[in-house]
Amino acid sequence: MRKRFITTASLLCFVVLGCSQNGIRPMTRVGASLRRSAESRRLPSMGQRWLASLASLNGRERVELIDLNNDTPVPLTGINQADSQTISLSVSGDGQRIALVRQREERTELMLYRRTASALQRLPINPPGVPRSVSLNGNGRLLAVQVSRKGRWDVDLIRLP
Amino acid sequence: MTRRLLLVLLAVGVVACEGRATRAPSGFLAPQQQDPALSGDGRLLAVIEDQNGRPTVQLRNVQGGGSLRLRHLSRHQPHSSPSLSWNGRYLAVITQRGNHRLVLIEDRLSGKAHPLRLPSGRDPVRVSLAPDAGKLAIQTADQGRWRVEVIDLSRLLEPDGPGGPRRTTPSEPSR
Repeated sequence: MRKRFITTASLLCFVVLGCSQNGIRPMTRVGASLRRSAESRRLPSMGQRWLASLASLNGRERVELIDLNNDTPVPLTGINQADSQTISLSVSGDGQRIALVRQREERTELMLYRRTASALQRLPINPPGVPRSVSLNGNGRLLAVQVSRKGRWDVDLIRLP
Repeated sequence: MTRRLLLVLLAVGVVACEGRATRAPSGFLAPQQQDPALSGDGRLLAVIEDQNGRPTVQLRNVQGGGSLRLRHLSRHQPHSSPSLSWNGRYLAVITQRGNHRLVLIEDRLSGKAHPLRLPSGRDPVRVSLAPDAGKLAIQTADQGRWRVEVIDLSRLLEPDGPGGPRRTTPSEPSR
């Protein structure tokens, strides 16, 4: 019995050490919190201490921003609208801005949400095209967006005030 | 008169809020670009381009458009979901080995590659690297549902926050 315990303990140590030697460790507390708060979750985007993602609960998908210091979602008043579907999102490094591409009433729109103003604003695309995938830089003042235009994919850069 | 002035000011405000758009830098016969990812400082842009039929990650300077060399990312396509740290020292991307996808992080300062198999054993679908490269968020599929896992990389990678060393690699002529 004792021999079996030692063998099992040695095997466990080997597995744990093997993982830590790899240098990567799952953040189990965050992981448990993410699993608890949504039935499914996708489109992760990391800020410095922020995780934005699309969380699905009771059949509804919502953009969620979690403060990784306490694993708690912060309010995003006005970002989630019942008649729209988010297809890409990106949070700035400081967590103050979220860019998203959403489909609403058969239109695909590029949007910018500012947390300080709780305001969601549509960003025009010039020349016109259909946005698909979006990325913000650290301070949220530069945005890169994949756009389909004349049958091909381009990437536009948009400087924001 | 006051009303007209207000209308002009409103128009200026709207234009200012809309931002200025430019096309991302690329070569003369530019291939199509997908899945953009900016570095935290906004100097670098990673995109997925079609190279001989293979979706391949490319790294470019936002100013000027020069293509930057990636030591470990010319094979194991298809590449998807690129993500950059603050100064662009680290580039994380999903690659393929055999029948499995895995995350590969290239350290452009040391020249090392860090292939990551996830602790959960699942294949990555999308990844996002924190600006300081201390954490990585990964979307996976588990029993028919999308999941997001977060892993701590602080024992694997040096931080790459604002003010950290910038990696300068020689620009290659744009294709």
